[in-house]
Amino acid sequence: MKRVAVCAVAQHKCDSNIWHKRFQGMLLDVLEDIQEQTGMHFSEKGGVRSIVSSSDDVFDARTISDNAVTDVLGAHYREEEKMAQEGLNGIGYAMSIILSGHDDVVYVAGHCKESQGESRNMCTNLSYDPFYGRAIGLDYTNVAALQARAYMEKSGLTEEQMAKVVVRARQWAAKNPYANATEQVELGDVMYSPMLCDPIRTMHAYPVSDGAVAFLLASEEKAHEYTDNPVWLTGFGSCMDSYFLGDRDLASNFALKNAAGRAYRMAGVKDAKKEINLVEVMDCYAYQQPMWIEGLGFCGDGEGAKFIDEEGPEKYNVNLSGGMLSGNPIMTGGLYRAAEAVIQLKGEAGAHQASDVSRAVAQSTTGGAGQFHTVVVLEK
Amino acid sequence: MAQYFGTAVEDIFNTMEERFLPEGTVDVDVTIGYNISGEGGGHWKVTIKEGTLKTEDMDGEVTDCTAVLNANAETFVGVTLGKIDAGEAFSSGSIKVDGDLTVLIAVLPKAFRPFKPVVKASSIVESVEERFRPEKAEGVDIKIGYDLSGDGGGQWTVVVKDQTCALKDVLDDDCTVVMRMEAQVFVDLNQGKLDGATAFTSGQVKIDGDIGAAGKSSSLFEKYVAEGAVEEQGEELISLKCVPSINQRYATGPLMGTWFNGLKEKKFYAAKCPECGRTLVPPREICAQCRVRCNELVEVGPDAMVTLIDVVYYASPDPLTGKIRETPYTALFMVLDGASRDESFAHDLNPRDIDRIKPGMKVRPVWSEKRTGSYKDLLYFEIAD
Repeated sequence: MKRVAVCAVAQHKCDSNIWHKRFQGMLLDVLEDIQEQTGMHFSEKGGVRSIVSSSDDVFDARTISDNAVTDVLGAHYREEEKMAQEGLNGIGYAMSIILSGHDDVVYVAGHCKESQGESRNMCTNLSYDPFYGRAIGLDYTNVAALQARAYMEKSGLTEEQMAKVVVRARQWAAKNPYANATEQVELGDVMYSPMLCDPIRTMHAYPVSDGAVAFLLASEEKAHEYTDNPVWLTGFGSCMDSYFLGDRDLASNFALKNAAGRAYRMAGVKDAKKEINLVEVMDCYAYQQPMWIEGLGFCGDGEGAKFIDEEGPEKYNVNLSGGMLSGNPIMTGGLYRAAEAVIQLKGEAGAHQASDVSRAVAQSTTGGAGQFHTVVVLEK
Repeated sequence: MAQYFGTAVEDIFNTMEERFLPEGTVDVDVTIGYNISGEGGGHWKVTIKEGTLKTEDMDGEVTDCTAVLNANAETFVGVTLGKIDAGEAFSSGSIKVDGDLTVLIAVLPKAFRPFKPVVKASSIVESVEERFRPEKAEGVDIKIGYDLSGDGGGQWTVVVKDQTCALKDVLDDDCTVVMRMEAQVFVDLNQGKLDGATAFTSGQVKIDGDIGAAGKSSSLFEKYVAEGAVEEQGEELISLKCVPSINQRYATGPLMGTWFNGLKEKKFYAAKCPECGRTLVPPREICAQCRVRCNELVEVGPDAMVTLIDVVYYASPDPLTGKIRETPYTALFMVLDGASRDESFAHDLNPRDIDRIKPGMKVRPVWSEKRTGSYKDLLYFEIAD
């Protein structure tokens, strides 16, 4: 089977309020970063022809939000498609462009400025049905709290364990130059931080974040023109669960298990525990780290809490970036996960570099309480 | 014209085309004759063939059709409106059908929407006293003026005071509020065919005076129901009226920031591409064509040459103020002096120049007295002569 190479990634440093830059300016920074790393260009002869962007109309406060950024994507007079989902799905789309033979080089970039809107909860409230969901104030935070409660019930996850996840995330974030929340905290700080929506506390939730990420993908034949150190995208899978919360078993990980199953099958992974040694999960809330780990097959059903206590996160190099808990915007949460996996596999992660990593998995989720999941497998 | 139950025979035939349902007559091929006797009667031939309709006003007795219906005008209108029982009319012989009776029963209900009487604006206004709800008018003292233009229009004043209601055939000078619109718009509003807010924001209704009073006045009257109309069971549809709105705080970055600060000083700045030299107005971070960062800002304008114009006649809200724009207004595209020829910039035109503006003309900016660094610091451009 043909392989797709990640030639380079570029991450904009995340912050809770990048007030001095338009999101266009942030995208231009990552574009120039990729150009610098790879010599990527857009000239008619041999330049990039296909661009995949990822952004959200509500966060950007305009419809067909990609229209506003085509110039800073290099997409002028080129083919450009927008992924109106978390950006990791744009990687899947770019893979299909290359694997189908439609094109051999694709530039992928995603952005989101959560700070631009008055409230990100108001933005995610708009993803719910206007008659039933919006009316009762559903948004990603309070819906996640329903799932947190269900998962705590199922796995026995405690306040202490959730606090441990946050404390560890901040420790790793401090070593990641692109992370937002790097201030060190102790268990008590987390356990007594103000309640947002029971059982989710302020410090269990990822901070409001602005960011942008870019990838350059190429076919196996073309990759060497851009890099001597490619990382291979060998698996992709996604799965959508029901829109109506009442139709879902919130603690079941149904969509994630399916998405992971598809990605692992494509990559030829039979047992994630044995064959994968780096994991990046999109843990928007602390309870999600053990829950998503479970869905990805690194521990048995309902054993996520035990996984935390038994130092599973260190054993499997979980979220050495600091994860979502250290602050990436929601529409690019998965792109940041995959970008971290790429630099780890390339051996370019600097202060937080893991040793001996050969195969990684990156996961993202869109929709409240993990309605939709996306999983990619990356290899050295 | 003779009317029965408020409706003329002619109205029924004249509205056939708009009531016709082509999708219900795909396999149909029939002709139906109508001989309607009495005052207001006449002869009509209706041909329905494979989704098409032809209605002909005939000079004499219609024969030789798939079915021919013979009735007097009152019976025909009454049956059509549901005021006279059709079965009874047939059995009593006041309606006679020659030919294939089943055509009328099987085809007509599928071929046409039910006839509804034509409602006139005057009938609605003239029924206002009957529809008045004194219990809702406690302490209300208003004069509502109606200025309805076009076919069926007129001017009226409705005086509500001391829990009584009186209608006058003139438009008083001292009305609390005057509503101006086409008579047909007024009819559509009262029949629920047109939404009040939509009619207002689209400029179909103009309100002079106290807008709040206009809004409240609707609760003072019962809903108008047309004479002869059968109260229709509304379809169970739900509409939510809400405008989701999330306050935004946009970053400008250095280029856009310089642009807006420039407006405060009555200056225009463009970003200049270091490769092709074109000027971007308003300035942006990158030249989309050369894909290079544009950090150099150059002053352009303030005068400009017009390249393209359009004149907008429909009203629409201005997103910066929420107010409805005065119509007509223009979208004026122009090249600021010193800017590259292909990079037009758009703003408003002084409305007084709409009739004279042409591409190639020189225009100059007119600035607001108080400038805050917003797009509205610039009032508009006007012809420079």
